[in-house]
Order: sequence, then structure tokens, then C-alpha cells
Amino acid sequence: MFGEEDIVKSHKSRADVITNIILVSFAIILARLWYLQIYMGEAYRRYSLENSLRKETVMAPRGMIFSRNNELMVHNVPRFDVIVVPQYLKTPKETIEMLAQRIEIPAAEIFQKLNRAKREQASYIPVVIKKNLSRKEVALIETENSYMPGVSVSTFITREYTDEYIGSHMLGYISKLDKQGKKKVKEYDEFQYIGVAGIEKVFDKHLKGDNGFEFVEVDALGRKRRYLKSDLLLDDIQNRPAVPGLNIRLTIDRDLQLAAYEALEGKVGSVVALDVTNGEILAIISRPSYNPSIFSRQLTSDYWSILSKDENEPLYDRAIQDHYPPGSTFKTITALAALEEGIVDENTEVRCNGFFQLGRKIFHCWKKHGHGAVNIYKAIRESCDVYFYKIGTKIDIDVLAKYGKMLGFGNKTGISLPRETRGLIPTKDWKLKKNAVPWQLGETLLTAIGQSYVLATPLQLTVAYAAIANNGRLVKPVLIKEIFSNAGDIIQKGNIEISKEKIFSDKTIKIVKDGLFQVANNPTGTAWWYRGKGINMSGKTGTSQVVRFSSDKIFNKCEDNEYKLRHHAVFAAYAPSDNPKIAVGVVVEHGCHGSSSAAPVATAIISKYLDKYYPELREKYLKEDSKMLAAHWSRKKAQAAEEAKKHDEE
Amino acid sequence: MNYTAILETLKKYDFSFFGAVIAIFFIGVINLYSATQASDQLSHSNLFKIQLFYFFISLAIALTVSFVQTKNYFRYGYFIYGVNVFLLILVLTLGKIGMGAQRWLVLGPISFQPSEFMKISIVLALGRWFTKSDPHLVLGFRELIIPAIITFIPMVLIVLQPDLGTGVLIGLIFFMIAFYRRLRWKIIVMLGIISLIGGSVMYQYGLKEYQRKRIITFINPDSDAKGSGYNAIQSKIAIGSGEFLGKGYKKSTQASLQYLPENHTDFIFSIFNEEHGFFGSLVLISLYIVLFYRFIWLAQSVTKIYDSILAIGLMSIFFWHTFINMGMVMGLMPIVGVPLPLLSYGGTSLLTFMICCGVATSISNSRNFF
Repeated sequence: MFGEEDIVKSHKSRADVITNIILVSFAIILARLWYLQIYMGEAYRRYSLENSLRKETVMAPRGMIFSRNNELMVHNVPRFDVIVVPQYLKTPKETIEMLAQRIEIPAAEIFQKLNRAKREQASYIPVVIKKNLSRKEVALIETENSYMPGVSVSTFITREYTDEYIGSHMLGYISKLDKQGKKKVKEYDEFQYIGVAGIEKVFDKHLKGDNGFEFVEVDALGRKRRYLKSDLLLDDIQNRPAVPGLNIRLTIDRDLQLAAYEALEGKVGSVVALDVTNGEILAIISRPSYNPSIFSRQLTSDYWSILSKDENEPLYDRAIQDHYPPGSTFKTITALAALEEGIVDENTEVRCNGFFQLGRKIFHCWKKHGHGAVNIYKAIRESCDVYFYKIGTKIDIDVLAKYGKMLGFGNKTGISLPRETRGLIPTKDWKLKKNAVPWQLGETLLTAIGQSYVLATPLQLTVAYAAIANNGRLVKPVLIKEIFSNAGDIIQKGNIEISKEKIFSDKTIKIVKDGLFQVANNPTGTAWWYRGKGINMSGKTGTSQVVRFSSDKIFNKCEDNEYKLRHHAVFAAYAPSDNPKIAVGVVVEHGCHGSSSAAPVATAIISKYLDKYYPELREKYLKEDSKMLAAHWSRKKAQAAEEAKKHDEE
Repeated sequence: MNYTAILETLKKYDFSFFGAVIAIFFIGVINLYSATQASDQLSHSNLFKIQLFYFFISLAIALTVSFVQTKNYFRYGYFIYGVNVFLLILVLTLGKIGMGAQRWLVLGPISFQPSEFMKISIVLALGRWFTKSDPHLVLGFRELIIPAIITFIPMVLIVLQPDLGTGVLIGLIFFMIAFYRRLRWKIIVMLGIISLIGGSVMYQYGLKEYQRKRIITFINPDSDAKGSGYNAIQSKIAIGSGEFLGKGYKKSTQASLQYLPENHTDFIFSIFNEEHGFFGSLVLISLYIVLFYRFIWLAQSVTKIYDSILAIGLMSIFFWHTFINMGMVMGLMPIVGVPLPLLSYGGTSLLTFMICCGVATSISNSRNFF
């Protein structure tokens, strides 16, 4: 027998190998530790910081928008949503049931939402369970946050438009930037809101501010722990505070907006009111309208599809994005051109028999049996077509176009709103290019009464009448009074542009202004019955044909036609006549008559304006108005008495 | 026994094993305190107390074991092995489900993992077999058949739980013992090839989805950072961010912010590294190496081959656990769920290591008394 001890000793070489295996193993471990901790240590230290530090965007509060009188029109309101991050749900059943109890939504419904999200997106993307939580619900969830891993309350800032539907086209709305949108506008953070229409869009750069960021310490479940002070962080990891957006003060008057909005109630159309002395827009309304608050509150796409399916196109800003044949309101421009060119003067008389013949073509006057002898005043006052046909035969279309363009037609007014349309003033060249057919004389006749190819936006119309009111000085419409920071520093002021030169002679202006005054202040004027009480308004009615009717239907009552075929009602005015302050342009789609349908909208705004800013003038005009009306009635009475007397004598 | 006898016994008693183990344990429990205290789960903040409680129980049992005569290990080796295999079968049939695997057996108030004790049982059983076979023989293929079966039965039972890590460990313990017992080099190479083939077959057919994911993750941890690669990356970040001196005690951001799942069990070494850095690890690893060296020294200083094999076997339990755990948390190996001896939280594993220590002490003492 061998001694057992010898057997043990015979294993020494293997014991040595095992010792070496152990030493080599730990050498590997230490080498790896050296690599991780010394060689890569700094990088991992950074990783560990970034890991637990989540960079959170601090949304810059978007600038507010105020009215000219500093009333808040657009501001930001916080909203709380409860969200669930499916990935962090450790005990889905318990957590969801707990949550369901607190927000009073059946657990089954929550699971349904989560399941739908599961199919569509990665599990780390939060799912919104309930929006607009009450304060109580927020408290209930926050206090028991640690028992509901994966559930949290997120705060959103929603954009609130004080007057909701009123003036939404001008203010516009905002929308969340999607990933595609982000590619286009690089300076924006992903998921930041961006203005997509109106002032919100044009002044987005001013309003948006600069988002900051903040490093938040979070655990692996995404729950916030505590905020770190900047100085505790590494040098290159720094918080950056958000810079709030700039605020905008508009030229808009909220009361006039409301008056304009209400005056258009039940109608499809738009109205623009501006201060003739400086071009400041006081009111600009298009109806039907939409509520921009909803765009930042609800699922944007839902509301969007409702709006875009509406056949009245509520998203469309009719005041600047749509153009119409200006109809008879354009006769004023024809009159100005003819007077300036010496084609007519205040003594020129034209006989109106109800139609005008050019070659074999008959051009009808709106008054079937004619106006009789017509001078320039009567032509404007009673809107005699034949008088202007006559001018049409004598004026070159390019000359007429020149005057139209001088007043701003056919070009963008340059208002700071997106997608403004230019309208159209036809010229010979234009027609040749467009249709490859030379200009016809008959077309000049139609252009002279604001038909054929002429197109104008309600804003252009208003700007043109403001220029007339201004004795031929053109103003540029402005919407911005000033842009200012939260600290109150004024960053930018609205640019007021008034042309120094008058574009018409005083004599011409005086004749046309007198004509326009008579429209509303002479009993035979087309707007006499709709002149509004005590506003001393001058203006011009217009009716723009949507389709051309055959001659047998041309004198049919407009209201008898199918809605879509009815004429658009147009009205342009300024007041007070002797010292104009405000110009208003109105288009009511398919409103039939400029007088009955469109004029009351203008008078409502003007009355409101005078009441608010010139009450003493308003009082004076009211007295004058009743005097004028009394004179009218006594004249009528005298006439009737005379006729009765004559009758008796016979 | 009178006073002098007790003094005599104490003089002869080998305190080196318990000394090293207790030193490592106290580093461990202090580290565990840090790893669990930061957690906002209330159930975790008391874990270090529970661990201390387990420690004193384990110490008492291990001290008792240290007075067992070594011949008893030989005598009851197969019996203990048999009972343990039976317990493993019980686990598979009525074990408590935990962490997606059946590992626990509940006996009244006590619940434990028989697979942990199997590590010791396999050492006792293999030691006995290798003692019986011709001591001069260099082990060839034929001599390996029976020990391979002895190893294979519990291994399969454990992998079926499924607990891949412990299964692999059992195999490695067998390998280390066979190697010590002068396994032919040719066989070693062949075993290497067989385990490679067996491993890949296992990978295809024997593994559960999460285990397969862990292996893919090990190869490319960045492939799914929030999924299965999550643990691996977070662990590496924790270790690396410790740099040379560490972030300081209780300053772990990875643990306190719960970036590391299971940070008190399998990933305890990550937290240790994050807080104490390379220098801390150097100290800790030195302690482990002292302990292992003591086992190898013991294996060569005993007179009986059975005791020698036991010492190597027990050492291999410690060694493989340490090496695999450290290797997996620092991204050298797949994450297989092997605890770090004396540092990871867990009663059964602590008891296992303490018993190892007790057995080693009794072997050492047997050179001087009995």
C-alpha cells in the first residue's frame, strides 16, 4: 500500500495549475475592471450621469396676443393629462385598477387604450389615458404615484383664444410639430407648437420663444427624483432656462370684432374695418369660423376633418384669401378714372333707357326701365350701369387698370397675414397671355361696372375706399401695434405707411365723395334705407354676379334663385363723410343685395366705432339724421299733398 | 472539557477560513446596506438586517459543521447526494414559482433552494467516487462514466427548473474536481469539444426564450438596451462610472435610482464597484484570492485524498461563483444569475458558502485533532 499522503502529494502539479487558473482568472477580471473603470471610466461616468439625468425640455411660454386696448385675446392655460408608459407597468392589473378608480374611467376602457397603443407604438411611448384632469384627480394620482409605477401626470400648456370663434382667421392657430414638420423647420424642437395660420403663423418666430432644458434626475422607471442644481453637474451639462415668447399688441378692437361677428350672424362672408388715417385694421372677420382653442386642446386631426368637410369652408379667411367681382363698388374706381382722364365731368349727362347697345350686343342696366337723364352724381348714387357702359366705350382698359392698381387692386396689400390673394385687374396683355384672344370692347364695358374679370378681396376693397376717404392717399393695412417682451420692452412697432402724394386731383375726389355721400344720404340713393342712423356714412353698394343669367332671367328676383346661384352682396363705405375715420368693406356671399344684405354689417361696425371713440360726433350726427329724415318726410308729404291737389283740380 | 482543553482546542482550531469569509461578508453587508437603502421600495430597506440574521444562523450551522469528523462526509456522501436529488425532483413537481422558474421548496416557515445545496452534495459524492477508484490512475474515459452520471442527473434537474447558471456551475465543479484528480489532457480537450457541441444543441432546443435573449445580449448588449441588454449595459455603466476610487459610499446613482434591477442580488458587485471603484475591487478580490489560496493550501496539506478532493471541490464552488458573477456583471459572460459569494443577498446561498467554510475548517482541524 502506498501512503495516502503520497497520493495527495502526487496531485501537486494539478494543484499548481489550479492556482494558476485562479490567478489568471482574476487577472482577466482586473484587466476588465481596469478597462471599464480606468480606461473607459470617464465615459461611463458621463453615461451614468446622462442615464439618471433626463434632459427635459422646458417649454417656453408662447407670447400672448392683446387687442389695441390691451385686452387679452390669446394666452396660455395649463392642462393636466394622465399618461401611462406601458413599459414601466410592473403590475398592470393592480395599477390600472387603482388608476381607474381615481379617474373614474372603467379599467376595461384603459386596457383597451393600452392594447391599441401596443399595436401601434413602442412600449416606452406614453399613452394618454385621460385629458383635462381636475385638480382633485391630479392630487389623487400624484400622492400615490409610487404605488402606480408607469402612471404619471403630465402638464401641457394649451393655447386659449378668449373670443373663440371671433376673429379666429386673423389670429390663426397653432399645431404640434410632427417629425416631418421638424425636418422642415430645424430651429424648432420636436413636439413644439408652431403657428400654422394667421398672426400665430406670421409672427411665430416672435411668439414662440426659446425652449430651455433642464436636467432631471430620474430612476429607471422614469420617475422624477429631485432637481439637481446646475453647479452639481459636470461643466458641460448645464440647465438652460426657457426664454418666453414676445407678446403682440394688435390694432384690432375687440368690440368692433364682436359687432362685426354678430352682424354677419347667419351669413357667409367677411368684413374688414380699418382706420383710414393710418391703415390700422380695427376689425377683420370671416364667417363661418372655427374655434382655434380646440386645435391645441383636442385631437387636432378630428377637428380638422370636421372643418375641412364643411362645405362653407370655415377654415378659409374670406377677407383676404378669397376674391370676388367687386360689382358696382368698382364703379367708383371707373368714375375716378373717367374724371381724371377727362372722359366725363360733373356736367356730362347720359340717357339711360335700361339698356346699352354695343353693336348687336345688349348690355342691361339693373333698372329695367332706365334711370332717364344721368349725371356722375346720379350715376354713383343710383348705380346706373348705362352711364358706366358709356364710360367703358371711351376709356382704354389699360387706363382703367392703371387706376385700379393705383388703389391697390390686383396686388397684395402686404397685410401681415398668410396666403393673401392678389385679386385681378385685367389688362389687354393679361388677356392675350391668358386666353390668347385679344381684348374685346364689351369686356371693358363689363369691367367698368366691376364684372367680367375683375376680382378683389374684401380687404383690397376696404383699402381702396380708405384711400378715397383719405382724399387719395393710400394706406397700407397694418395689424400690429407693437411687439413687446414680458418685461415691457418694445421690440418692434407696427409700420404705418401712408402715401404722401394724393393719387387723384381734389376736384375728382370731391365729385366722387359727393356721389358716395348721396348713396347713403339721398332718398334715391341705393343705400338710403340702409344708411344706419346718425353715422354720416358714405359708401357704395354692389352686387356681384356669380353666374351670368340669360336675358329672360336677368330681372328675376335674386332670392328666387338657388342659393349657390344668388349674387354676392358687396358694400364699401367710410365714415364720417366730412372727416373720415373708418373704412369698412363687406362681402356677403349669395346675399343678393349690397344694400339690404351687406350695408347693415358696415353700419353696425361704424355705429359701434363712433359710439366708442367719438360719442359727441355720434350724438351730433343722430340729431342731423333725424332732421334730415324729418325734412324728407315733410317733402314727401308736401309732394303727396301737391299731387292730391292736382288730382282734385283735374 | 476543562478550561485548558478548550484553550487547547482553540489553539488548534483553524480560524483562517472563517476569518476570511467573515471579512468578506462584512464588506458585503455594508455594501448591501447601501444598495438597498437607497431603494424606495420599503421591503428592500430591511434586507441587510435579514441578511445579518441569515448570517448568524449560517455561522452557527457552519461552526457546528466544523466539528464534524471528516470520515462522516465520506460515509454520508452518497446519502446526502441522494436526498438532494430527491429534493430537486420535488422542486420540479411542487416547487414554488419565483422569477419565472421553479427553484424554491417550502417546508413550513422555511423556504430554500435545493439546487444551492446540490453544489456541496455533488462535491461530497464525487469526492467519494474518486477516492474509491484507483488512486494512482490517471483518469481516462472509462473512469469518468459514473462521475459523469452523478453530475448529469442533478444538472439536468436544475437546468429544467430552469436555472442555467447553477446547472453550468455543477458541471464546472465536476470538471475542476476531475482535473485535480488527474484527468487526462486528451479528455480535457474532448470534454471541451463535447460541451461546446452540447452547449449549442442546448441553445437551440433546451433554452427558454429569456435565456437565449441573455446570450444574444451578451454578444451585443446594445442591441436592445431597454430590453434584455438593459441589465448588462446598466451594470457596465455602474462599474465603469466608479473609476479608480469610486463615487463613495452610498453615492451610487445607478443603484439609488434603480437602474440596476436585482441590484441587491446578482448585481451587487456593480454597486460595489460604482461606490468603491477599482481600488475597492482590488481589496475585495485580494481577500477572495487569499481565501481560495487557503483552500488549495489545505488540499495539499491533508493526508487523505478524500479530504484533498473536498478542499478543491469546495474551493471550486467559491471560485466559479466569484468568477462567473464578476465576469457577467462586467460583460465578459452572459447574465446567468449566479450570486457573488458572501456579497449577494440571499439566505440559501449564504448558508451554502458558510457550510463550505465549515467543512473546510473541519478538514483543516482534522489534521490536528480527532
